[in-house]
Amino acid sequence: MESESKKLRRGSLKEVSFREMWQKYGTVGILAVLVIALAILKPASIFSATSISQILTQSSVNILLAVGEFFAILIAGIDLSVGSIAALTGMLTAKLMVGGVPPLTAIFLGILIGAALGFVNGFLVNKTGLHPFIITLGTQAIYRGITLITSGARSVFGFPISFTKGISSSIFGVPVPVIIAISVAVILTFFTKKTVAGRNIYAIGGNKDAAWYSGINVKLHTMMVFIISGICAGIAGIVLIGRVGAAEPGAATGFETYAIAAAIIGGTSFFGGKGKVFGVVIGGLIIGIINYGMTALTVPSSYQQIVMGGLIILSVTLDRFIATKK
Amino acid sequence: MGSLVKMKNITKKFPGVTALDNISFDIEPGEVHVLLGENGAGKSTLMKILSGVYRPTSGKITVNEKEYDYLTPKDSYENGISIIYQELSVINELSIMENIFVGKIPVKTIMGIRVIDYPTMRQKASEALLKVGLIRDMNVFVENISISEKQQLEIAKALVSNAEIIVMDEPTTSLTISETEHLFKIIKQLKSEGKGIVYISHKMKEIKEIGDRVTVLKDGTYVGTRKVDEVEIDELVTMMVGRTIHGTYHNKNISDFKNEPVILEVKNISKKDGKVKNVSFKTHKGEILGFAGLVGSGRTELMDTIFGSGPKSYGEVFLNGRKLDIKNPYNSIKYGLAMVTENRRETGFMDNFDIKQNISVISNLKKSKAGGTIGLLDDKGEVEKAQIQVKDLRVKCTSIHQNITELSGGNQQKVILGKWMGVGTEFIIFDEPTKGIDVGSKSEIYELMRRLAEDGKGVIVVSSELPELLSVCDTICVFKDGKIIDTFDIKNVTEEKIVSASTGESGKVKEVN
Repeated sequence: MESESKKLRRGSLKEVSFREMWQKYGTVGILAVLVIALAILKPASIFSATSISQILTQSSVNILLAVGEFFAILIAGIDLSVGSIAALTGMLTAKLMVGGVPPLTAIFLGILIGAALGFVNGFLVNKTGLHPFIITLGTQAIYRGITLITSGARSVFGFPISFTKGISSSIFGVPVPVIIAISVAVILTFFTKKTVAGRNIYAIGGNKDAAWYSGINVKLHTMMVFIISGICAGIAGIVLIGRVGAAEPGAATGFETYAIAAAIIGGTSFFGGKGKVFGVVIGGLIIGIINYGMTALTVPSSYQQIVMGGLIILSVTLDRFIATKK
Repeated sequence: MGSLVKMKNITKKFPGVTALDNISFDIEPGEVHVLLGENGAGKSTLMKILSGVYRPTSGKITVNEKEYDYLTPKDSYENGISIIYQELSVINELSIMENIFVGKIPVKTIMGIRVIDYPTMRQKASEALLKVGLIRDMNVFVENISISEKQQLEIAKALVSNAEIIVMDEPTTSLTISETEHLFKIIKQLKSEGKGIVYISHKMKEIKEIGDRVTVLKDGTYVGTRKVDEVEIDELVTMMVGRTIHGTYHNKNISDFKNEPVILEVKNISKKDGKVKNVSFKTHKGEILGFAGLVGSGRTELMDTIFGSGPKSYGEVFLNGRKLDIKNPYNSIKYGLAMVTENRRETGFMDNFDIKQNISVISNLKKSKAGGTIGLLDDKGEVEKAQIQVKDLRVKCTSIHQNITELSGGNQQKVILGKWMGVGTEFIIFDEPTKGIDVGSKSEIYELMRRLAEDGKGVIVVSSELPELLSVCDTICVFKDGKIIDTFDIKNVTEEKIVSASTGESGKVKEVN
């Protein structure tokens, strides 16, 4: 009897630690498995400096969008407009540069535009009390429409060389888009871990009413979340036009799906209150490596979609399964 | 003739708590068996085992000569067990007739197609409604009928489903005297038809009037079963509370607070929706002010208004002589107000936070600027503060990094109290502070309240448990229909006085305790 209860206890201990292991390292584990799989299937595709920097560069726009999206999901909301914000910000920044505004000033203004578009989202969410899904579904279409109108549905190109050169260059061998994405992720990690506002956002995600009774200004923080998401999307839009060398009115269409996927695969709870910026970055890399790997293995891009979709469902199911198993 | 139901040696354990410890209970045909006990004694848990909501950890249930380890909701229903909960489960959006047949609509087959059998429905419904004396158009939507009518409807519903055992959980809480009398008539009729009634209550007068036998539970244990005719009310009271008089926590030094400094003064508070009407009161140094009143009398709305968590309202609030301009909880917390809300899970704690993070919420907010948006976390300070509070309040936990959802109700409540301690709180509102909490934690919370009052903090306690108010408060305000209708000094108040004031039936209720 006694030994049996002991055994039981040991069993449950093991399970708890496995659960913790999964929660801590699950997403990193998936990434490692993918890298190893690719290394076995096609060694040449991964063991080179250029391929690694290529994967990172390709993932940087999505990571930028995803770390912003992360906050919207953290308060049990969502931001469907990040792709459209990226496109509109990119377009307006491009117009400014082509119109003679110096690149650095244009970039600064571009980031402000992203923040303003996020502000509009937050304002509408707070004023109407509707779920962010509805509001950002609306602004997704509105921002895209404005992009088409301001561009006359035509691509804008002919940027100053300093801008395109700057974005596509490397510092100590690290591509600039990667440096930007990492910097943003580091700042946001600091924000979530070390600031009162960051903690408050987790509190709102965990229990909005309790947060309100604890004096946390829910609307103010909701506003902050959408502005952060807007800024990240704005930066992503600017990186995107730099990499492509042109601002296209249809740019970043559907990118919100990848951003949401990265956040979810990265361990962010869809019910709010749980998740880490680091996990989201890993989630973005997982999506990046799947796309890159399948291209390297010459799998048609339509199949890549299926794999990514499957992975979203699988990773959340697994997370759920492990979290609830006691 | 044997019992309709026999529950034998029922034990129910929840993580960390034994809710029921070896309880036996039976119901005979044609009797009203009263289940008596304070809040948290285990009455509802026992009935939830009977209805199949919970499975007992051990014990046997015999129904219709069949023995079960546990009942499923289906077993319970098929054996004619029907429970009428305190918070009635009728559906407001359906008609009276539809409510009676929810989940069991009679059907007939016409040309191979199954359709609703309206004639049968109408006939059965009118029979049942006549029996319970609910004479109304059956097509009226339930949202338009009164609470006592809803209760009659629930009984009719039970009758239609051939209930043999009807459990009524504190059915008279929100009924007037005449409505109660009518209910008793129905119960007597059901008795005469051989139905078994379980009547949960702690109103002594009712027990004498309607009960045949009475079983007393205390803190999840069985105290005894008596025949109502052969037992005195005093004995029942002793059985019910006897072993856990938690003592009193009144202010022993001051008997008249009128000359003490005023801590909080509320002047002419009103709410637009009329739930609070022109309320004024003062709390004094060293005084714990209690608010009694029925659920829905506007007590919680008043507290929400003072704390700034409710919608905008009119009136003035002064703390230590200073006029407060409160727009939201953030303002009031900055002024030194605090509120322990009625519902821990919904408005008390963040379930994604550990103990430390939950405790730190207020201190972080206090030292931050611009509406709580600007400020850095202080890991070391958080850990220190959490450790102090966990130790001071004797929170039982493995570490301050344990998730709050893993704690028992009492310890969760202590964590919530901990976040308001050591952060410059000047005035604290406790709304139903010991709901669903074990006796040990209860008395610790009462001690804390008294300590706060003695330290010169303002303390208000809102509670539906009169024994709680009577043992903790120095002054008790009775709230009814959005107003303070009476204020009692603890020296000359009884439970009966409060009840008659809060139901507005003074004179009709006899002193029985």
